[in-house]
Amino acid sequence: MFFLHNLERRVTLHPSYFGRNMHELVTTKLVKDVEGTCAGDYYIIAVMDTFDVSEGRILPGSGLAEFTVGYRAVVWRPFKGEVIDAVTHTVNPHGFFAQAGPLRLFVSSHLMPDEIQYDASATPAQFTNNADIVIEQGTHVRVKIIGLRTEVGEMWAIGSINGDFLGCLQA
Amino acid sequence: MSKTIRLGTRLRYPITIVRLLKTPGEQIKKQEPLLEYSFKWKREIVDEIGGNTRQEEQTTTVTWDSPADGELTKWHITEGQRIVADRPCMVVKEECPHAVQFGGLCAMCGKDMTEVNWAAETRDTARAPIHMVHDQTYLTVSEDHAQRTEAKLQRRLLHSRKLSLVVDLDQTIIQACIDPTVGEWQKDPSNPNYESVKHVKSFQLEDGPSDLARRCSYYIKTRPGLEDFLNRISQMYEMHVYTMGTRAYAQNVARVVDPQGRLFGNRVISRDENGNMFAKDLQRLFPVSTHMVVIIDDRSDVWPRNRPNLIKVSPYEFFKGIGDINSSFLPKRQDLLTSDATPNGSSKKGKAQELRQMAEKIDATLNAGGEMTGGDDPALTKLQLEEQERAFEKQINDRPLQVLQEKLDKEDEEAEKATVHSEDGSESRSSSPPPHRHRVLQDDDTELKYLEKHLTYLHQTYYAEYDSNCGSHATNGNVDLTLVPDVGRILEELKGQVLQGFKIVLSGVLPRGIDIYRSEIGLQIMSFGADLLPKIRNDVTHLVVNTSQPGREKLFDARCRPHIKIVSQEWLADCFSRWEAVDETPYLFTTRLVGEEEPGDKPKGDDMIIGDDTNGEAENTMPNGKRSKGLKLKLIAAPGHTRKPKPVGDGDEDDSEDSDDSEIEEGLLPEDLPDGQVSPIDSLKTFNWDSADAELAEFLASGSSDEEEDNEDDEDDEDDDASDDVDYVKNEEDQEISSSSDNSRKRRARRSRSRSKTASPSSPSRKRKSHDDEEEAGTESGGGDESPTKKLRRTKSQRASSLRNQYVADEDEPQQGDHSGLPTPLGTDDADAKQQKEVNASPVPIEEGGEEDDDLDFDEAELEAEFEREFEREFDKVGAEAQAEEDGLRQGDMDGADTEKG
Repeated sequence: MFFLHNLERRVTLHPSYFGRNMHELVTTKLVKDVEGTCAGDYYIIAVMDTFDVSEGRILPGSGLAEFTVGYRAVVWRPFKGEVIDAVTHTVNPHGFFAQAGPLRLFVSSHLMPDEIQYDASATPAQFTNNADIVIEQGTHVRVKIIGLRTEVGEMWAIGSINGDFLGCLQA
Repeated sequence: MSKTIRLGTRLRYPITIVRLLKTPGEQIKKQEPLLEYSFKWKREIVDEIGGNTRQEEQTTTVTWDSPADGELTKWHITEGQRIVADRPCMVVKEECPHAVQFGGLCAMCGKDMTEVNWAAETRDTARAPIHMVHDQTYLTVSEDHAQRTEAKLQRRLLHSRKLSLVVDLDQTIIQACIDPTVGEWQKDPSNPNYESVKHVKSFQLEDGPSDLARRCSYYIKTRPGLEDFLNRISQMYEMHVYTMGTRAYAQNVARVVDPQGRLFGNRVISRDENGNMFAKDLQRLFPVSTHMVVIIDDRSDVWPRNRPNLIKVSPYEFFKGIGDINSSFLPKRQDLLTSDATPNGSSKKGKAQELRQMAEKIDATLNAGGEMTGGDDPALTKLQLEEQERAFEKQINDRPLQVLQEKLDKEDEEAEKATVHSEDGSESRSSSPPPHRHRVLQDDDTELKYLEKHLTYLHQTYYAEYDSNCGSHATNGNVDLTLVPDVGRILEELKGQVLQGFKIVLSGVLPRGIDIYRSEIGLQIMSFGADLLPKIRNDVTHLVVNTSQPGREKLFDARCRPHIKIVSQEWLADCFSRWEAVDETPYLFTTRLVGEEEPGDKPKGDDMIIGDDTNGEAENTMPNGKRSKGLKLKLIAAPGHTRKPKPVGDGDEDDSEDSDDSEIEEGLLPEDLPDGQVSPIDSLKTFNWDSADAELAEFLASGSSDEEEDNEDDEDDEDDDASDDVDYVKNEEDQEISSSSDNSRKRRARRSRSRSKTASPSSPSRKRKSHDDEEEAGTESGGGDESPTKKLRRTKSQRASSLRNQYVADEDEPQQGDHSGLPTPLGTDDADAKQQKEVNASPVPIEEGGEEDDDLDFDEAELEAEFEREFEREFDKVGAEAQAEEDGLRQGDMDGADTEKG
């Protein structure tokens, strides 16, 4: 789910950048630093604006200036039980990996409807029910997140396509 | 999904079950109390008034909490039972076996497996320890699940009558290089290599290991006939890629080889997922059974655990001299069967050492086991990455291919000139167009043809055996996996027939000090069914010689037995690649070595031709007057020497040497020299070894007590060693020229006297010195035939004293050959200088010292100057005395020297 979130971050600036457009530089650096990162249990998708750049403080010893910046950002937090769309990345006998934006999901063969089976002889390998459902590399799928784990800078998720309206998305 | 749960080892046994809190059929949760038990323990009670302690037995009742979730189905224990050790206590039906896990999450129920629970002894992540997916290290499965998956795979393969084939990339089916020359040649149709490189594909890695690797293009040359080969093989085998390159590299190469992804699909594993930088392991992909897996690889040493399944192919070398660009992580290869591999002795030794170290490392990492964190030792990995980077840089900057082509062009030019010069009209060369240039890149590899044959043959044999196994119980659909034959065994049987009955001896093929039975080539010979013998015997059938470096002994031995076929190592290589006993005729080694006798003659192995240049050192190690060659070789061969098991029935038991190469055995026994040749050590026979021994003994004895005094000497030594190597050769020559110079000896004697004044009078070093003087005088008077032992000793000490020699030169004395055989302390120099100063008012000695030390460290120079000053001061005190005595002593010395000389 997407949120507009108020965040705060300390940005340091090298002394060679001290000058009139310091605040611009701070913003640029902030955007470069945080956009696209995983901050605990959410991803920072985009920085909307900075609304508060504090006075710079010179850090003793290094000469760098530290600014505390308040900013608004669009963040995405996947929730357990949430249904999201993803693109199949690789298929292996145990299940398939799907990519939902920055998040990599694994859908185990146990969490698929029984009729969907792994077919290794197909090129490329696929999960199929030998009828309309074919999940191979590049297929769009709708999955339900049933497990999430976060580490610093990383997130893992387990998806399921065992349920109504889940699974292969017909184009 | 029932799971039996044990009480665990952490309880204080013996315990007594007091009460069971749950009945079968109830749902239980982790950390929920399931039973109460009691245990007895001793409590120490301190009587504070009396001051004594006593122990009192106490009984405590505690609860035992569930380590698992699920439904309790059965208790294995009853109330009131006394339990003395860990044992199963209940059966729980779990909702989820957590058999597939992804990044610490159970892929079946979505629970977090990394939670640490005090009630459970093992972590849940340990329940799925096996990696078996090609492109992921985060996905792990349990043993059970792995078994099921693999059984499924085997059924499918049997059904489609296929086997698994693990294919290596580099130098097996392709060769990669990053030499930018290839790109230039591709754009230039006039280049002689244009035809060869026309079909070379290239790509760039966006996520390469380093900036450099990202910028450069990778040029991929597929082995000739690869496409057809793969297409045909894919009918019989399901193919996997297993490479030591990075993931991005592997995928890009797979795209080059197999653009549609039909052959390999996503069955690509690279070093990023391998979990080991040094070795490949089939268990990484097929954790349960490798019965249906065949490997093709150009290196067998990277498959330490799966040798039986491996078909070793000869490495593909299209870009000459480039090798395998991803091999910087692997030990250096030792199994090249080409004659241009002629490493010299020392580097071979180094390689062997390296190999051993690497092997140890591999063992260590293998033993470390299933950790799949990618790196073993981060520091080591980093080091190797750097090494690879350096290799890359070198290739880009040096452009080895261009260099080779230029060399070839030059040769062509010269050849051209030569033909023009000869003006021979019928020259075949004149028919070819003049601007024709030879090309470096020749695409004439035929390995895949043979490989395809072998793989087809293996496939047929395998399924023939499988069918005969199944034979009676032909149950369709439901395959009994116990009937599946082991392809490794079949492969070994097939290969074992190839050279059956051959008895092969190697000569000059392997470096010394390597156990032939454990070397790559040795293992391969044996895997093809031939017997490998360490030395020539009558039943030997083939001698394989390194054509560029034939070992003499074995060659001569074999020459006098006409039934032994002496072949070059290419014969062996071709036998390996064709799986048949190739006709030896084109490979026969007929070249006569220098000094070799006519066939049939009794060979005299001990010519001086090979040994000549090494004899100078050899003599130094000889404490007796005997022939030294054999001993020297023995000494060199000894360290790190692994003794081979001796083949049964080997008659020659007195030979304890590794007989892999030639000279060692023979040299042990002194033999007559061929006529007309004088051994350079003949002079040693007349040498008085007793005096040398006595001197050595004295030297060793004096060493310890001498230390204090010699400190300065040592300093000198160190200083000089670096800068001295050059002039010491010169000095040696000088020595011969002016060795009988009386003058120098006088000076030396004088010096030792004056020195003995400044130092403690009874110093043993003085004794040594004078002894030396005598010694030297004796040998010098002997003229040219002085013993090399002495020479060495002298040159050694000369290095130490050269600072003074230089100083002598400064004094403009004509005789450069002022060589005392001793390190002389600066103090003595100073004394000399001082005297000199007194005589011809030369500059201050301190300055001189400083000049001499110009090329030394500043600090050291300063230190020395300080020493000199101190000595000077000391010398001033005794100076007068010394001066007084000097004249008399000098006179006496001269007499002494004269008598010595006489």
